[in-house]
Amino acid sequence: MTTFQTVAKLLAERLEIDVNTIQPDTSLESLGADSLSVMELIFDLEDEFKISLGDERPTLVVVQDIVEHIERYLKQSAEQ
Amino acid sequence: MERVVITGLGAISSLGLGAENNFEQALAAKSGIDYLNLSFKQQVEGCVAAQIKFPLPELVKRAELSLFDRFSMLGWIAASEAIQQSGVALETTLLDQSGVFWGTGMGGATTLESGYIDLFLEGKNRIRPLSIIASMNNSPAAQIALRCGFGGTVNTYSSACVSSAQAIGEAYRHIKHGYAHRILAGGSEALLTFGMVTAWDSMKVMANANPEHPEQSCLPFSVNRSGLVLGEAGAAVMLESLSSAQARGATILAELAGYGSSNDATHMTNPNPAGQARAMEMAITTAGLSKSDIGYINAHGAGTPTGDVAEAESIKRVFGEHAKRLMVSSTKAVHGHTLGAAAAIEFVLTVQALRSKSIPPTAFLQEPDPLCDLDFVPLHARYDQPITAAMSNSFAFGGSNAALIVKEFS
Repeated sequence: MTTFQTVAKLLAERLEIDVNTIQPDTSLESLGADSLSVMELIFDLEDEFKISLGDERPTLVVVQDIVEHIERYLKQSAEQ
Repeated sequence: MERVVITGLGAISSLGLGAENNFEQALAAKSGIDYLNLSFKQQVEGCVAAQIKFPLPELVKRAELSLFDRFSMLGWIAASEAIQQSGVALETTLLDQSGVFWGTGMGGATTLESGYIDLFLEGKNRIRPLSIIASMNNSPAAQIALRCGFGGTVNTYSSACVSSAQAIGEAYRHIKHGYAHRILAGGSEALLTFGMVTAWDSMKVMANANPEHPEQSCLPFSVNRSGLVLGEAGAAVMLESLSSAQARGATILAELAGYGSSNDATHMTNPNPAGQARAMEMAITTAGLSKSDIGYINAHGAGTPTGDVAEAESIKRVFGEHAKRLMVSSTKAVHGHTLGAAAAIEFVLTVQALRSKSIPPTAFLQEPDPLCDLDFVPLHARYDQPITAAMSNSFAFGGSNAALIVKEFS
């Protein structure tokens, strides 16, 4: 499963929507995800990928923003 | 000054879902008490509780569940029922003069405790991000206001076992004095967690389980009583100014006629009949009733050795000769002590008793304590009772007392 697929799967489960409606450029707002649900999603993703995203507070507008945020940390932990 | 009327009721407890269902179970002396079953790996040995064991109705989206501790969910379930029954759910007027007054004792105990388990026991270094929002004491009030669009005063009262009596009573004062036209008032509690129950157990105020009949472990006013039985619940009433209820053609269930409040100011836990009497006297005075107008009291009656004697004493002190003719029952025998929700669920039952002229019994009361010599409506409900006003008493650790009076609307 790619990072995008995992993010889309968790988003779909959390928001009770069809996973096929989620594309990389889909805005989080259009999916009904507000700042609080994104925080919870990030928490679940940290568990899923066994990473810690630390104190950084990136601006997340579309689904791809979350994917890139995760991948940056995955790359960092692979390098360590 | 405005008169305050009740247009909707809601309840969920170990007795079941819905105000009517709860009342029918209480009338039938069917108990919701049984051995406590915790989802945690450890159990509190031999502990009985009035636990809601049926699945809760799914009223919120899965995406929103992280915002809801169990006490907020119980609150929203009860509030939804009261709002639906009242017809206020369909109203778009007076929203800025509509509020929520809610009570809870321990708030989001379940969320906090599961966070502590993650942190202290599971070795995790973080807690779910919405733990604060979910566990804060004003969470149910805020959720109810948000979902109903109530933009008036939204208050939360946390005074142990009188929390929701204060919420309902202060809402009454708020409407009476013109600060709001509609207030959804009530309370909710969900503290059946390993840590919370263990803490209560340490206080040595909990009832011993009846090994043959665990459902009969809470015995208010009985010579065999051994303490209280913890429970979880949510209960709500839709309160309205008479003018706004009439303007929208609402069905009026009863009038919330009086409220009295006091503090013993004598001890943190030992009840004081003089303090309790002050609350009852104030409620009767504000209702403009004479003592003989009260036909039924839903007692605090938690089933503790000292508490029940003090309440019998305070009722006798207030009502004098009329005390002998009063029907007094404690429904805690069947729904347990639901702390921050207790006053609200007992008030909801009291309103239904008044409307149906049917008095719920003090279940399982085979042998009353001679020190508690009132008519406790033992064992069986009484029907066709010509009551026109009833009182619900609530007393708390910390010395707070509250009494609410409901009367027939005419």
